[in-house]
Amino acid sequence: MLKGSCLCGDIHFETEAQPQGASMCHCSQCRKQSGGIWASAYVKDSDLTITGPVSWYETSPQAKRGSCPRCGSFLFWKAHDEDTTSFALGAIDGASGLKIEKHIFTASKGDFYDIADGLPQRD
Amino acid sequence: MTGKVTKGSCLCGAVAFDLHGPLRPVYACHCKQCRKTSGHFWAATSVPDEALTFTRDEGLRWFRSSENTKRGFCGTCGSSLFWVPEGERRTVVAAGALEGELELQTKAHVFMCDKGSYYEIGDGLPQFEEFKGDENA
Repeated sequence: MLKGSCLCGDIHFETEAQPQGASMCHCSQCRKQSGGIWASAYVKDSDLTITGPVSWYETSPQAKRGSCPRCGSFLFWKAHDEDTTSFALGAIDGASGLKIEKHIFTASKGDFYDIADGLPQRD
Repeated sequence: MTGKVTKGSCLCGAVAFDLHGPLRPVYACHCKQCRKTSGHFWAATSVPDEALTFTRDEGLRWFRSSENTKRGFCGTCGSSLFWVPEGERRTVVAAGALEGELELQTKAHVFMCDKGSYYEIGDGLPQFEEFKGDENA
């Protein structure tokens, strides 16, 4: 069981599934919203239980982003044509047992940091 | 205000601001609060309060994160934008919210005591268990 929550505790989520695709996203949207880099993994929608008043923002016709309206924590990303939801690894409570597998959208990364952990990078 | 202006905004544009003058180097904060709000760790510069002016603020919301600190974010899109240590007359600003080519470099990683276990750093920058201020700068 993996559990996570926002900073103020209004929103909780949990899953018993094994999350997939642990990655750091450097795209301009994740950069704006997270303040730097967004780290996430995903599970099937049916395997993710979310409680609390998630505020969904339609970033594009393809996807929406979920955050907490009270504390602003950026928790979820969901593509409309996929049956999975990505959740923020920073929101996990306790050890996750997960390891980042790759960096994505590195062509859009900010110029104020370097990536030096040796993991694969995809533009 | 004179000097360089750096523009910043949230993802949806309901919060937009200008930073006037030089920017402090970026610190990457791995504390639990920054991890929760950003979704990973939070990279930020800092400016004196008078160097921050808003051009749009209808989305701006504040969350009291401790007795003496508050966090600013966009209530529409959920972007993590500001951290304010009250009484210090400065605002800490998300580097990721800034636009254009930045003359900014990350200087150190702080609050490594709270770092998540799912990632490594490896960039060779100094790492501090906490962050006490200038002695780490």
